[in-house]
Amino acid sequence: MLNECGVLVFAEQENGRIHGVVYELLGKGRELADRLKKSLCAILLGYNLWDEAKELIYYGADKVYLIDHPSLKDFDIVRYKHNIVKIVDEVKPDIFLIGATRIGRSLAPRVAAALKTGLTADCVDLDLDEEGNLIQIRPAFSGNIMAQIKTRTKPQMATVRYRIMKPLNRDPSRRGEIVVREPILLEKTGIEILDKIEIGGVNISEADVIVAAGRGLKSPEDFKILEELATLLGGVLGSSRPLVDAGWIGREHQVGFSGNVVKPKVYMAFGISGAPQHLFGMRDSDIIIAINKDPSAPIISVSDYYVIGDLYEIIHPLINEIKKVKGLVK
Amino acid sequence: MSPKIPNAVIDDLRGIVGDKWVIVQRELMESYLKDETPDIIRPKPAEDLILVKPSSTEEVSLILKIANEKRIPVFPVGGRTGLVGGAVPTEPGIIISLERMNKIEVDLENMMAIAEAGATLGDLIKVAENAGLFFPPHPGDEGAQIGGLIATNAGGARAIKYGVMRNYIKGLEVVLPTGDVLSLGGRILKNNVGYDLIQLIIGSEGTLCVITKAVIKLFPKSKYMVTLVVPFNTRSEALRSVPAILRSGVIPLAIEYVQINEILEAARHLNEKWPVHKGFAQLIIILDGMSQEEVLAACEEISRICESNNALDVMLAETPEEQNRILKIRSNIYTALKPNMIDILDVTVPPSCLEKLMDEVDAIGSRYGVYLPAYGHAGDGNLHVHIMKEGIKSMEMVKKIKGEIYEMAVRLGGTITGEHGIGKIRLGDLSMVLSEKHIEILRGIKRVFDPNNILNPRHPL
Amino acid sequence: MYNMRKRSEESCICGEGILNVMPGYIYGNCGRMQMNIIVLMKQVPEIEKVRFDPEKGRLDRSSAGATTNPFDLNALEAAVQIKEKVGGIVTAISMGPMKAEEMLRDALARGADKAILLSDERFAGADTLATAYTLAAAIRKLGAFDLVICGEKTVDGDTAQVGPEVAEFLNIPHAAYVEEILNVSENNIVVKARMERSHYIMRLTLPALITVTKDVNTPRLPTLRDKIRAMRAPITIWRYEDLEEVADPRYFGFDGSPTRVIKVYTPSAEKRLGKMISGSPEEVAREIVHVLIKNKIL
Repeated sequence: MLNECGVLVFAEQENGRIHGVVYELLGKGRELADRLKKSLCAILLGYNLWDEAKELIYYGADKVYLIDHPSLKDFDIVRYKHNIVKIVDEVKPDIFLIGATRIGRSLAPRVAAALKTGLTADCVDLDLDEEGNLIQIRPAFSGNIMAQIKTRTKPQMATVRYRIMKPLNRDPSRRGEIVVREPILLEKTGIEILDKIEIGGVNISEADVIVAAGRGLKSPEDFKILEELATLLGGVLGSSRPLVDAGWIGREHQVGFSGNVVKPKVYMAFGISGAPQHLFGMRDSDIIIAINKDPSAPIISVSDYYVIGDLYEIIHPLINEIKKVKGLVK
Repeated sequence: MSPKIPNAVIDDLRGIVGDKWVIVQRELMESYLKDETPDIIRPKPAEDLILVKPSSTEEVSLILKIANEKRIPVFPVGGRTGLVGGAVPTEPGIIISLERMNKIEVDLENMMAIAEAGATLGDLIKVAENAGLFFPPHPGDEGAQIGGLIATNAGGARAIKYGVMRNYIKGLEVVLPTGDVLSLGGRILKNNVGYDLIQLIIGSEGTLCVITKAVIKLFPKSKYMVTLVVPFNTRSEALRSVPAILRSGVIPLAIEYVQINEILEAARHLNEKWPVHKGFAQLIIILDGMSQEEVLAACEEISRICESNNALDVMLAETPEEQNRILKIRSNIYTALKPNMIDILDVTVPPSCLEKLMDEVDAIGSRYGVYLPAYGHAGDGNLHVHIMKEGIKSMEMVKKIKGEIYEMAVRLGGTITGEHGIGKIRLGDLSMVLSEKHIEILRGIKRVFDPNNILNPRHPL
Repeated sequence: MYNMRKRSEESCICGEGILNVMPGYIYGNCGRMQMNIIVLMKQVPEIEKVRFDPEKGRLDRSSAGATTNPFDLNALEAAVQIKEKVGGIVTAISMGPMKAEEMLRDALARGADKAILLSDERFAGADTLATAYTLAAAIRKLGAFDLVICGEKTVDGDTAQVGPEVAEFLNIPHAAYVEEILNVSENNIVVKARMERSHYIMRLTLPALITVTKDVNTPRLPTLRDKIRAMRAPITIWRYEDLEEVADPRYFGFDGSPTRVIKVYTPSAEKRLGKMISGSPEEVAREIVHVLIKNKIL
């Protein structure tokens, strides 16, 4: 293994749990580092994170810089920035990747400004040119065009969208090094986190996955089973207007001209025929999967995948299959 | 007429459009059996219906030919956003949905869109916009389809400056109940050859022919557009400003009248915030023009008039986002009120009589002990009055209230419907505005187009 | 170390940024707190009307009008609400071509007291870092301030980077994605900010920077009278020379930008796959799961 750090990945964690995007960054970072013939490093800040540091190695990191201290338990951006800048100065990576989460997109610019280096937001792909410079690819103008961006300064920093890159398979036999560094202790940063409140409820316009139902649903109770599916997929429930008007589900779930306009990664339409008023609200979804009895339903013609059949026959096997994949059942 | 459609006919239909596009299972056609008319007054759909989705004018023609031969009623439907039950299939027969015929082309040189009947209003707005052009009317729900917009002569908010659907249609392709295809007009602005069948068909509510294609006039996109929101303490102050604005020489796209309770309710319904909380009555005025300077000068003129009528403020929405939000909230008053609504009337009077009409509506409401929320296209004298469930004791009571409002509108020189049309729920009220002779002529026209009365049959027309 | 009571020029310890910061609050004659609030704004093209010309590889903005970045109206509204509550001055700052004057006039109509436009060909072509550097220099030149408010992002750049970068250049704490301003006092501001699955309630010592989401408020409409009055209001223009004295001009504009767009192209036309999945319910379920895995939902 070569000693120089080619790619550094910020291992975002909240409440001691590594964010999923980190494993994806390690997957992509591994590929880039191998092509550069350099090592892949991660930086992990927080408290009581030794096990998590090992996980980062299982997912591809050669070296994990761990700063483990109670003062880093919560995300105080100023503390984080100081500690990250110190590590970056030490390891001098060519490339520094951060997840394009809200935490990442708040932290990365702060770090980039401190390092006076370029930063590209919300990348959906990364590549290298012949000289080994990073090519950063991101959508621009509401995704109407794609832009390729290069950075003249080092490290070349990018935030990368979640659920785009592929993580490696977890391999507990992988070997790597955990390098423990002392924190920079700051008495005051100008930031006090007074409270953290878990967010419940629906935010349909931000959801990555929407499991939506229409007239094909037979009773309001049946939303429960769809909700189980939505929860398994980390998504939220959606509805066409008739069910909302009938009081089966709250208006915050309504998709369409007189409801919410949504743009999830996956929109699953169960028993929705696809009235124009509904299509108006979801036609920009990345992937549309429609389950409908009626092969002539308008929703079929706007879908990427469709099933002609009864949603009640498909929903249970689908939930089972997902549970299997997630290791919840055998 | 046989109540059930023979299997042989169903097979023929499958042969015309393909198996997939003939739907016989009731549960798969639920959404085609109703429109946006409030539940209580919406006519009940018949049993024994089949739904057919043709993809071309030829297919529509073949379907109608068979239906005509076998005397099977045919109900053409669009986006089902109507408010008078016009598209509800009330007899056993064939529903034709034109949703697959949804292509739109723009002829930039002549500023026309050539649209198939199943394209939606939303599609048309977008396509026009992409071509740098503008389709001014905004009859509410953008899921409405071109065929339906024409068949119902839809109006909407932005009708003052450019008019209603009738003013935009320069050509039509239609299929007669006999299966004959007629091509009328075209991409021409003047056409003076005999009786104008295009104008007869616009507003015929699917009773004369099935519209399959239309040539629609577009306008150059205005360079600059603003929306004013002007709050007043009283209705009278707001409505008195309207004729004065229209007389001033400024021609707005729209002047809408709303009252604070309904507009706030619509905003709540959409989880949006209405930007102006002052006053009881508000005017929403949309203006466009070639430059900011020109439009703001017009705004100042309007402002002077409104202020002389004690306007509390004149607020200006300039960003597209703010203007869209205002239009969206305004367009959704109906959806917000619908769950508690029995009927929506759209009586129209000479614009100067609108205040009188509204006061009378209030008086009727208090006589019956019910609240009748009202708002409307003030610049057109077109008022939407809602009969809500609260306080209503019987359908007899609804009928009486309705009757009194209609009578008042007619007495003021107006009519019982300005834009929603007759559909299937206003047929009984026709004699209030049309003479016996008039109705007789209409019947005669219907017979010429549709000798066997198969197309959207309804009585007495 | 942020001691607002001392009008100290001591820079905070949150960074070794390039600019020193002087806390800006002063007391007005009426004894009310006088907050100096800065709002950063950008004029953007009407995003849905920008076309891409694949042959020339260029954006065609000709059919798109210019408008205020919508998030910046929330930032301005937040500033004006704070001013109305505790007293103070709201200064809107933008960097862009001279046409952006119209946006700043609109800001004046909506309650800003002063407006400054940084406009110079040598500022043009800036990426987020150079933009943030230049804006921070302008804030520095302005002197004392308490609070900087930005929209969470612009709709054209969509990076959400300029706000936090400005905070770093000014050595002040920041909170991004603020959905609610809970309290403002003379030395601190308490906000509710949205992170991934939690809201953070944070107290920031002033001076500080926040970026706000659309949930923070509903921007008021200006009155026609204020709009017309503002049409004639003067806008302060600062050019390259005006900022040279407070910053290192090597970091301005295109030349000061470390990132370069090397290519733009349209993503492969988005056509729906229209693929039918058939089989027994179990087979269908497996196939859907496969699609979900392929799209990284599972």
